[in-house]
Amino acid sequence: MKTEIRDQRTGIRDQGTGNRTSDPSEFDETLRMIARLSAPEGLEERVQAGLRAAALTELPKAGILRWRVALSMDNNWMRAAAAAAIVAVVVGGGWGISSRFQPAPPSSAVAVPLRGAGQTGQAGFSSAGAMRTPQTLNGPVVVAPATAHPVTTPQAQTKAAANAHAKTHARQVKPVQTNNPVAPTTR
Amino acid sequence: MSAGQAVFSGWMGIADKAAYEETCRRAEEAAIAGLVSQYAGTLYRVAYSVLRNAADAEDAVQEAFVRVLRHRETLAEVRDQRVWLIRIVWNVVLDRKRRMKTRPETDDVAELARVLPVGGLSAEERVAAAQHHAHVLGCVEQLPAKEREVLMLSAFEELTSVEIASVLGISESSVRSRLFRARNLMAGLLDHTRSLR
Repeated sequence: MKTEIRDQRTGIRDQGTGNRTSDPSEFDETLRMIARLSAPEGLEERVQAGLRAAALTELPKAGILRWRVALSMDNNWMRAAAAAAIVAVVVGGGWGISSRFQPAPPSSAVAVPLRGAGQTGQAGFSSAGAMRTPQTLNGPVVVAPATAHPVTTPQAQTKAAANAHAKTHARQVKPVQTNNPVAPTTR
Repeated sequence: MSAGQAVFSGWMGIADKAAYEETCRRAEEAAIAGLVSQYAGTLYRVAYSVLRNAADAEDAVQEAFVRVLRHRETLAEVRDQRVWLIRIVWNVVLDRKRRMKTRPETDDVAELARVLPVGGLSAEERVAAAQHHAHVLGCVEQLPAKEREVLMLSAFEELTSVEIASVLGISESSVRSRLFRARNLMAGLLDHTRSLR
């Protein structure tokens, strides 16, 4: 029955062997016997153990992952502790560095300018008592309107002529010089 | 969100990703363990049919599953895992056989006498049967490689011609034609040796 099933599946019998005298089942029997051999006892366990060993030795990347995963698996307190440890290491390292490298102390020698050089005149130039006044903004300047061509109306000409005459007359009539210093003078 | 919260959430994100990867890894390992328990026997028989040595066949099965472990990311994409595994172990076995020296027939006789089912046979009958099987296997070894491979795989009842074609990477019609040639060649070889005796 099994042979008939095989005929349908693989066609191993369909092909025939021509006019050969050998019985095909002669070598089929041998091949099938080997194909039906049972696996040795404990094969699966040995293969499983070999796979576990192979996973550890041949896949180092998995080992690294396992370390990271073991740290993070369902342990929130472990995560918090790890974060705190990282913070402590960073802060501690910074403090260690800052405590070892203090800034340099101020030097005892201070450069002082020559005292009184400008006042005694023994060295350097003196300012000659000049004071520097800072530049400030100029205030608003009121500019008088310029009259390049004054207006000459008849009334203005008359007034100007009168003024000029008065000035001339005043210069010609000089007051008498007296020795009295309190006497009023006229200009 | 403050900087501290961002750092903490980033840390949690890394941890969650690691946990996810660990879950995936465990799932893949469980899948491989299932494959071992289901197909280790089949792979062993395939390996033994070529190597004809129990220790070598077991090593080949081991190596095949290690290869599966290395390519476990592609496990979900495999359509027919049985044929895929047989193909892997078949390649492993052929590699090993190329590196091995030709087995003398006396080794085959001793090995076959050890693994043959007792079945009520006497010691003399078992030795005679072992010699006969060793002689047949010697004739199989004389076949061309292509025909020999098809003939050996066709002996496995759990493999159809389509599956044999998939294992060998050839068409089904090629399997049939190679099987036809192999059977004719085997019959000729057995007739020839019988006439010499």
